[in-house]
Amino acid sequence: MKFKDYYQTLGVERNSTQDDIKRAYRKLARKYHPDVSKSADAEARFKEVGEAYAVLKDPEKRVAYDQMGSQWQAGQDFQPPPGWDAGFEFSGADFAAGDGAEFSDFFEALFGRQGRRARSHRAGAHARGQDHHARVLIDLKDAYHGARRSFSLRVPSLDAQGHVAVEERKLDVNIPKGIRAGQHLRLTGQGAPGYGQGPAGDLYLEIAFNPDPLFRIDDRDVYLDVPLAPWEAALGKVVTVPTPEGSVQLTIPPRSAAARKLRLKGKGIPGNPPGDLYAVLAIVLPPADNERARQAWRTLAQAFEFDPRAHFKGGLS
Amino acid sequence: MSEADRSNFQPPIVEVEIALTLTELCQACNVPEDQVVLWVLEGVIEPLGEQPQDWRFTGGCLRRTRVAWRLTRDLELNAPGVSLALDLLDEIAALKALLRR
Repeated sequence: MKFKDYYQTLGVERNSTQDDIKRAYRKLARKYHPDVSKSADAEARFKEVGEAYAVLKDPEKRVAYDQMGSQWQAGQDFQPPPGWDAGFEFSGADFAAGDGAEFSDFFEALFGRQGRRARSHRAGAHARGQDHHARVLIDLKDAYHGARRSFSLRVPSLDAQGHVAVEERKLDVNIPKGIRAGQHLRLTGQGAPGYGQGPAGDLYLEIAFNPDPLFRIDDRDVYLDVPLAPWEAALGKVVTVPTPEGSVQLTIPPRSAAARKLRLKGKGIPGNPPGDLYAVLAIVLPPADNERARQAWRTLAQAFEFDPRAHFKGGLS
Repeated sequence: MSEADRSNFQPPIVEVEIALTLTELCQACNVPEDQVVLWVLEGVIEPLGEQPQDWRFTGGCLRRTRVAWRLTRDLELNAPGVSLALDLLDEIAALKALLRR
């Protein structure tokens, strides 16, 4: 187990006031909050910051942490000295921030017993189990056709001693045709077990798409870049383009400009109404890497009286 | 449910097929009811129906409520702050989607 320097995590000095610690935490929490930040490590950073704050904001835990001494460096191999917490009285209160969160082994070793408690329910009480949430990834074509997909979910649970154990469970789910990113499937009775005779909670699966090499997705609409040679854009052409439902023939009108969007109505994600598929035209220049090609471009230049910078003229001095 | 029924079972899409009651929304998001009432008064989420017992939460209410609760809990934002943050996050998401087109 590695030592964690909670002061370093929050970027504060060891002698900082509680107000300094709170201010530093708030700032980092806003920066790394997974709903706000889209950077890849935001969630991990947010958890680290939350764990550090859970210890340092609580005067009891802070004093206990401090008395291990300042000789420890972050990342150093660490075992809590036997009886390190002797003589400290923990109230065990105010642990909402850590509720259900997965804190590090380091935190568990120090505060596991005081910090976490398996939820105790009055004997004989019956209550509905909690609803759970998980985010799952599907392919775009699953939304077009519907699919049966297998997901493996990690479920943190507290054992009787209050330790967090992570169980893995497999779940087979029928993905309905027409589902879009951000929507939720509700699986009745697949959440946390009930207490006593109470029913189990529900499981909500939030849908997201695996990145697709060809298609971009915006709600129910789908976008596809279609590269064209300059003469295809100029003269028009019927080209074969892929869609999630199979290839279609797409007519490129003559004199099409780059970035023009051609709409294939109703070819987006199915539904009522269905989305549209947009072919976004891009013009790609063939490489002029041999004399024959260069001569062809010169011939083209001679055939046109074309100045693409004509509108600069007024501004030149 | 038999194995065959289970393998044919199509779970409902919450945003399309389900209107959650206040109690169901609170259970789904693990949020106290008075907090959700506060957000409705602030316009963070907009249910159908007049009285709390008639409220039905559809569409993006489930997602908005979950994000609202995380922001409230983790950043200690009040209801107007949550409302502003959610509107700005939606705007950023819409602009990013425009960029990807």
